[in-house]
Amino acid sequence: MNQDEQALDFSTVIASTVHDMKNSLAMLMQAHSQWLARLPEAQRQGPEQGVIDFEFAHLNGMLVQLLGLYKLGVNQMPLQPAYHELDDFIEAQLAAHQEVFASRGIIATYEVDPLSPLGFFDRELIASVLGNCINNAIRYARESLLITVSDEAGQLVLSINDDGDGYPAEMLERQSDYVQGINHSSGSTGLGLYFAGRIAALHQRNGVGGRTEIRNGGPLGGGVFSIYLP
Amino acid sequence: MLSYHQKSFLIVDDFSDFRSSVRSMLRELGVKDVDTADTGEQALKMCAQKSYDFILQDFHLGDGKKNGQQVLEDLMMEKLISHEAVFVMVTAETSQAMVLSALEHEPDAYLTKPFNRSGLAQRLERLEQRKTLLKPILQALDRGKPVEVLNACIALCKQDIRYSPLCLRYRADALRDMNQNEALERLYDSIIADRPLPWAFAGLGKLLFKRGQVSQAKGVYEKALKVFPMMPALYDGMADVLVAEGDTKGAQQVLEEAIRLSPLAVRRQALLGKLAMANEDFETASRAYRQAVNQGAQSRFKDPESNLGLAHALISKGSERGLDTRTRLEINTTLSAVAKENPTDPGLQIRARLMKATSLLLNDAETAEKLTEQALMRLDGMEQFMSPEAALLVAKQLQMLGQAEAGTSMLKSCAEIYGDDPTVMKDIAKLTDDPTILSSSNAAADLNRQGVRVYKTGNLVEAREVFRKALKMQPKNISIALNMAQSLLHGTDTNVPSAELEECRACLKLVGMMPDTDARYPRYQKLKSKAFGE
Repeated sequence: MNQDEQALDFSTVIASTVHDMKNSLAMLMQAHSQWLARLPEAQRQGPEQGVIDFEFAHLNGMLVQLLGLYKLGVNQMPLQPAYHELDDFIEAQLAAHQEVFASRGIIATYEVDPLSPLGFFDRELIASVLGNCINNAIRYARESLLITVSDEAGQLVLSINDDGDGYPAEMLERQSDYVQGINHSSGSTGLGLYFAGRIAALHQRNGVGGRTEIRNGGPLGGGVFSIYLP
Repeated sequence: MLSYHQKSFLIVDDFSDFRSSVRSMLRELGVKDVDTADTGEQALKMCAQKSYDFILQDFHLGDGKKNGQQVLEDLMMEKLISHEAVFVMVTAETSQAMVLSALEHEPDAYLTKPFNRSGLAQRLERLEQRKTLLKPILQALDRGKPVEVLNACIALCKQDIRYSPLCLRYRADALRDMNQNEALERLYDSIIADRPLPWAFAGLGKLLFKRGQVSQAKGVYEKALKVFPMMPALYDGMADVLVAEGDTKGAQQVLEEAIRLSPLAVRRQALLGKLAMANEDFETASRAYRQAVNQGAQSRFKDPESNLGLAHALISKGSERGLDTRTRLEINTTLSAVAKENPTDPGLQIRARLMKATSLLLNDAETAEKLTEQALMRLDGMEQFMSPEAALLVAKQLQMLGQAEAGTSMLKSCAEIYGDDPTVMKDIAKLTDDPTILSSSNAAADLNRQGVRVYKTGNLVEAREVFRKALKMQPKNISIALNMAQSLLHGTDTNVPSAELEECRACLKLVGMMPDTDARYPRYQKLKSKAFGE
């Protein structure tokens, strides 16, 4: 009991620090974009700009994820499901990464099954999962990234495809370990899978919970991350 | 492509850097009409002058200022924005306390800082599209015509069935406003059977509770809380159920749970204060009332009852030796605010003075006496009725302050106004043994019941006669007066002057002094608008 309390105290300390870091980062990003806007057009572009944009998004995504993990841990993760228009939802996630796509020369597209234009899920939570996945895919993609939305036996499936080398075989084999949080050794991707798996599982319908899956192949031949929502 | 470029925008944020950054993003997107405000108060003023198509509202506008949710509430309640307008809440993070406090008035979208130009453009484009799709529904909402809302929903679903989930909430709200309870219950049931939506659970629970199906409502809330343990609105509903069942301790616990999840809720804090007082948990009561007062300062739900409650809780918490300086100071501040902010309300003026006098009873008898005298002067000749809780507390404090006679007359008038309510009579019995007060309402209450029976048989003449007799005994009794008025209006042409109409208007005028918090107040208003043709 005593030990648990100590552990919680420490995670609370971390969580409030992360919270501050996130606010700091937001100020930094805002100031940077204002500063950028004042520069002459020619100086706005450049390889450094791509790195800055990507790392900003990466940092922000990790901090959001850390806060999310903390809330999951103390059971404060509220589920606020509602109906959302899927093309709107996906577009919004892609728009947030627009600068990075541009600076890395990645073409990002999406396909939504016109027969199921609405999805039922917690917008913020699924957006944080998608944000992380897009960020991850950007790192491995060569030139394209594709998000597909389809319906599989009544479940909504969101898949993020890239044209990179795909996930290592060992990771594919042991993906359930990552999702269950057994394998802690692998840094941010592992944590990301754990986080995504937990969020998917929070979405339930008639006793069936959501889940995630990683595989290689898909329409772009690289890594494919899918989240299934009942 | 739809266009938001011709539309008017209002940016509300306390940081000038942010305002100018968003303004330049909008300019780059081709928007020309952009105004800015740095406080909620200013935003409300600007919205009263000009109807904006888009409002980008920062949630946190600094401590002690109205927050974005309060601005939205004010805009909606005062009808300062059209339903067609787009309200976007801009947040530093999706903080839980904030999102969860917003089940009643939800913004059209949340936008998390930081966002870039393409992110902003994408949201605006989509929101504009959504509003265009729903236009007929939103226009009907602006006209306040639930039937038209319903028809617009049906038309939209016919046009494209895939969008029917977007109409569910509009349909439910329209049915609620039309009092179509059976249809509404069926709709809620079908929604919940398909997808558990938190607002559908809350709506169904509320509906069942309203119809007196308390145990069914309880079942709904229990089920809902299993699925959504993080939704404070469901705890509120559960607390109502427990209060109705007489379990004030259980209700307090449930509300404390809701407040842990979402502390930013003025009305919830005030209700917790009230329940904790009933449970004699003065520590919790003073804490909750203090929150209600502080949070209420900038909110439209500001309520002097919370100030009085805070003072009462602090006094009750005090020891036999009196109150310490800090507590006295807090009581003084909170009561001064009541007196200062409600100069024309005699009831509040009296109650604030008596409350303060009670707090000074042990430490400053002289001032206590002076305040009591002032209160007595105002009490004499006050026409307004106090709520039973307020009247009984006043009577009790008058007794404590050595004004037994004034206390008795307060109890007498309370028994006259509310004597047909057994719970009020029970509370009166706690303060007096005087049989003339305790039995004063029996005869009138019997006659009132008899009148209702006769009225139901359709014998109007006799029913009026019986009510008249009852009202003669207790002219200020709200129930009898309303029954009298209703029986007089029944079958009477209100366009032609008549003795019945005169009599009806007279008794409505008298009970028009009732507090607007009374459960019968809507009924009174209905009768009044009939009798006076307003």
